[in-house]
Amino acid sequence: MMSLERITAIAMNTLREAVRNKVLYVLLFFGVLLIGTGVLVSSLSYIATAQILQSVGLSSLRLFGALIAIFVGVGLIHKEVDRRTIYTILSKPVSRTEFLLGKYLGLLLTLWLGVLIMATAFVVVSLLSGAPLGAGHAEAILLSAVELAVVVGVATLFSSFTSPMLASCFTVGFYLVGHATRDLRELGAHSGDVLVAKVTSLLYLGLPDLESFNVTVQAIHQLPIAPRQVILPVAYGLAMVIALLALACMIFQRRDFR
Amino acid sequence: MQRTAPIVEVDGIVKDFRPGMGLRRKRVLQGISFEVQRGEVFGFLGPNGAGKTTTLKVLMGLIHPDAGHARVLGHDVGKAEYRRHVGFLPENPSFYDYLTGEEFLDFYARVSGVPQVLRCPRIERLLGEVGLSHARTARLRTYSKGMLQRIGIAQAIIHDPEIVFLDEPMSGLDPIGRKEVRDLILRLHSEGKTIFMNSHVLSDVEALCHRVAILVKGQIRFQGRVGDFLTERASDIVLQCVPPELALRVEERFGASISGQAERVELRVPEKRVPDVLQLAIAAGAEIHSVTPHRVSLEEVFLSAVHEEEDAR
Repeated sequence: MMSLERITAIAMNTLREAVRNKVLYVLLFFGVLLIGTGVLVSSLSYIATAQILQSVGLSSLRLFGALIAIFVGVGLIHKEVDRRTIYTILSKPVSRTEFLLGKYLGLLLTLWLGVLIMATAFVVVSLLSGAPLGAGHAEAILLSAVELAVVVGVATLFSSFTSPMLASCFTVGFYLVGHATRDLRELGAHSGDVLVAKVTSLLYLGLPDLESFNVTVQAIHQLPIAPRQVILPVAYGLAMVIALLALACMIFQRRDFR
Repeated sequence: MQRTAPIVEVDGIVKDFRPGMGLRRKRVLQGISFEVQRGEVFGFLGPNGAGKTTTLKVLMGLIHPDAGHARVLGHDVGKAEYRRHVGFLPENPSFYDYLTGEEFLDFYARVSGVPQVLRCPRIERLLGEVGLSHARTARLRTYSKGMLQRIGIAQAIIHDPEIVFLDEPMSGLDPIGRKEVRDLILRLHSEGKTIFMNSHVLSDVEALCHRVAILVKGQIRFQGRVGDFLTERASDIVLQCVPPELALRVEERFGASISGQAERVELRVPEKRVPDVLQLAIAAGAEIHSVTPHRVSLEEVFLSAVHEEEDAR
């Protein structure tokens, strides 16, 4: 039976490792710095300065979150195998599923802490610049956090069976494709060709749609965000995370640690 | 030692690995079988690449065998339950070096399911037992190799297991470190724990182990009690004033080596043949200079097992 205590112990240890890792601080520093540079970028324009500032801020938050998720996530399992720490953990009454879930949750917690720090920087910069803040901003940040959960899930899946180099290629590929599928469908719909439109809409259904987690435009323009625009992506993200982790556990279960 | 159900049963384990990306497979374990009895110190020996670590990883559930069965404490090694009762120290262990000694043991106590009330006193006691109380708040990255080996043994026994698996526990240690680890193993054994150790250091195995198995190229070449082959099995006889015809007969029948000095014969014979040689010598009027029981060392048994394999190729 799965033990919550064991999963928590592994997750907290992963978080502790990240907190004691200086590289993460450097990435976070640059994330916060980029959010701050929104002030500089917005000062170059006479119109919509608040929107430019907040667009740079929210985009930086999403971009740095994804970068940390991918480049820390792909080494998540490989590092444990490479430095042989996995041998002593799996020799304890820890199942491979518990180990994988613990590592995943530990990294996700780390990322969400990072998001919290960057979100605080975003709020501070917005307040100092007099840019308006509303519930839409909170919803945009929440959906970014859900998107990160999916990206970490993908990184964990690839990390469970391949090298960090390949895992990062696959995860970056997933991220880019995930943000392009909506455009692909639109492109097909406007092509005028029924077959192209059908193929692109089928591709859209089969491939992930990470743009569904992006409500930045609505947030910065103070446009209303319907509850379904938040609930559906959260449910979609949760379903993807469950599927990704289930697949990762299945693969990890069969793996030999030579 | 009272013979009960074996604590470790390995029956016909086969394991193949693919050395690269190709389809060709290399057989690392060729159907090995052995048993470890409760309460004994079992030595698993073999040259590099023999498959010792692979066997240990099969027993720890880290590698899935292609054929055969392995059971520890009556549980199949594919399940996680038995791991509540086993401890493991891998070869050249590497740990989370950002943790302090205390945090490290606390983490392993948590994942091993040690109840919260027992954790602190047990960590305290173990740090004392492995001589690391002074380094409890130091990060593991500042530990020496010997200290890492000792904290590694502490994590292996944090949950009070019945059997402890040690992979090359003396590897890379200086004489002081080796003695400390040897003393720790003896203490664990005196507490009633079963010890399974892979080792290259034959003198340590000879001093610590009750039984050994020698693995060569994925096959068990020898297994038995250390006491059995360390008991007298042959004798060195030195005869003097040996008439030439006796020297010839002894050489023919027993393969004796004739020394540089005239009329002196030295030979090694199985214990049961000693009376024959002595009778022959006395009848021929030779002097019996000495009869010395010869003890076969573990090194000789090990080398002979390895050479048998080389000769067979």
